[in-house]
Amino acid sequence: MKNGFIFFFGLFFVLALSWAGLVLGTNAQLGDLAPFYDDMEGKAFPERAPGIASRGQLVYQELGCAACHTQQVRRPDFGSDKARGWGERQSVARDYVHQKFPQLGQMRIGPDLADFGTRAARNGVSESALLADLYNGKNGMPGYRFLFEQRKLTGESSAKALSGGARAGYQLVPTPKAEALVAYLLSLKQTYEFAEARPYEPVAEAKGAH
Amino acid sequence: MTTVSPNQASAEAGGIDASARCPLGLLTAFALLWLVAGGVLAMLNLLQLQSPGLLADCSWFTYGRLQALQETILMYGWAVNAGLAAATWLLVRLSGENLRGANYLMAGTVFWNLAIVLGLTGIATGYATSHPLLQMPGYVQPVMLFAYAVMAVPGILAWTGRRKAQTYATQWYAVAALVLLPWFFSVAQVMLTFLPVRGTLQAVVATWYAQNFFSLWLAPIALAAVYYLLPKITGRVLHNYDFAIYGFWALLVFGPWMGGRQLIGGPVPAWIATVAIASSVLVLFHHFIVVVNVRDIFRLTGSTALFFVTVGIAAYLLGGLVDAVFATRALAMVTQFTYFQQAQQQLALGAFSMIIFGTIYYMGPRLAGAAWPSIALIRAHFLAVLIGFVLLVVSLGMAGWVQGRDLNNAAVTFATMSAHTRPWLQLAAAAHGVALIGNLLLTVHFFRLFFTRPAPVAFGQSAALEGSAS
Repeated sequence: MKNGFIFFFGLFFVLALSWAGLVLGTNAQLGDLAPFYDDMEGKAFPERAPGIASRGQLVYQELGCAACHTQQVRRPDFGSDKARGWGERQSVARDYVHQKFPQLGQMRIGPDLADFGTRAARNGVSESALLADLYNGKNGMPGYRFLFEQRKLTGESSAKALSGGARAGYQLVPTPKAEALVAYLLSLKQTYEFAEARPYEPVAEAKGAH
Repeated sequence: MTTVSPNQASAEAGGIDASARCPLGLLTAFALLWLVAGGVLAMLNLLQLQSPGLLADCSWFTYGRLQALQETILMYGWAVNAGLAAATWLLVRLSGENLRGANYLMAGTVFWNLAIVLGLTGIATGYATSHPLLQMPGYVQPVMLFAYAVMAVPGILAWTGRRKAQTYATQWYAVAALVLLPWFFSVAQVMLTFLPVRGTLQAVVATWYAQNFFSLWLAPIALAAVYYLLPKITGRVLHNYDFAIYGFWALLVFGPWMGGRQLIGGPVPAWIATVAIASSVLVLFHHFIVVVNVRDIFRLTGSTALFFVTVGIAAYLLGGLVDAVFATRALAMVTQFTYFQQAQQQLALGAFSMIIFGTIYYMGPRLAGAAWPSIALIRAHFLAVLIGFVLLVVSLGMAGWVQGRDLNNAAVTFATMSAHTRPWLQLAAAAHGVALIGNLLLTVHFFRLFFTRPAPVAFGQSAALEGSAS
């Protein structure tokens, strides 16, 4: 390889090729993905999360929650995602179109959270219960006490104050970060049945079986 | 490679090494300090999995942040500093000219390491990006890009100003690594941080970047060192060297496509995973050529420096095989989202580290112009990192396998799962501890070599330098 120019060009070319293939290729496929407007329901899915939830996503991101939690449900016959109640269907790219920084994650030291809001609603987990879990820790997840502050009690205690855990004359109140994080977690819903998300079921095989 | 008489060649090399003493000594010193710091944090991080309460009240060191911190320190602090020192030294040696642009390298090194400190502070105080291997906040990323470009100048000058027109495998690998990183680093910065692309496309860009860091940076630099050290130390010609060029291009062509293995079953087009699985298998052609070229290394003759390289190259080949086998969907279904992926990452990083340790043992005395003060320390380091490295990869791999089997069984709760993985994670933390002791030894030894200069050896007495590390 005496020709430096060809060598240099070759290096550039192989990298550009992979970039064009993977990134531009995916962009061509998903770049203009739009929310799906359902005439029957009269609104588009996925629904936009409230502003506080977008702020919560930033808290989730900077605390490093993605080091233990994924947000991607795999299809029902791939792993136990459905059996664990993490989602009825697999996550698809359309679920994330409104998210500025999707937190897909790569590790499952704790449960998947892609559809956490649905799960919480089904199990009746309230905002204050979730805040208490965040303070105390749960199932091996440590409590994140720095997301709460002891505030001097003047007059009535705050509606958001946690019961117990406060010194006399003080109340234990979640910081705005904790509130945003909880709002974000409760906003995570992947329930709408997009056409591309229908669970792959080996029906044909079952019918054909003797 | 040369037809010059040995004495003349080593006398010239002595002058070249002297010109590289300060900048490369500085780079290596930074690298080793980061290596020790990263080892401490990595061990703490694993201990947090066993007692989640550890440091949990300290917002700087949540599990996720500590994970980002140790990964950033090991990749950008240790690997990039040490890899640049090795690559620059190899290119300067092969150019046959003195190192040019030493000031660029010194200034770049200072800025690069300052940027890392800033970046780590950013991660700890809440500006992490949450992209694996690219955790540092947006405000330091351009500084790092700039510092890197400045640091790479002497290496590139040594390549363009080489005495002979024909080139050697070491030069291809080293130059490729030097010029490719700024390209994919800047693309990732723009597409993830400054003008983030939409939705799950971010995950595709992030895995592409992370894979490139391994396939187009760590691997080429390590291989550049292997292709140089093996013939240099053993005095034997590489087998079937004519094929080395195919091995080189195979890595560059297939490597960048392998990142999608992380996204199997994820909310991205399915062909990304399929292409990644196919590439993981195709890239084995590169591993095959490497093993054909360097098979003499497994005869285990030569110096202690070469022992490090032997372990490193064995780990590199094993890593390629494991990546290919565990990319298949049936096995990925178990290992995805588990510690097994961390084991694979540690295997790749460990392979790089072992080869670079070997390079430091060979390069150090030549740069310092003195022999290593203690052979016992070198042997102790070798033993410690060998035990630590093997234990770490095996225990993380086992923890991942157990975790993956448990994850796929919906009846197993997360509490049970963590009870099952606990012994393996304890072993992994211990492994980090053993390796850390070894790396501390190397760091102390390196500073002794550079600062006390016990019995200076005249440049050119390569036999004496060699004797210290064999």
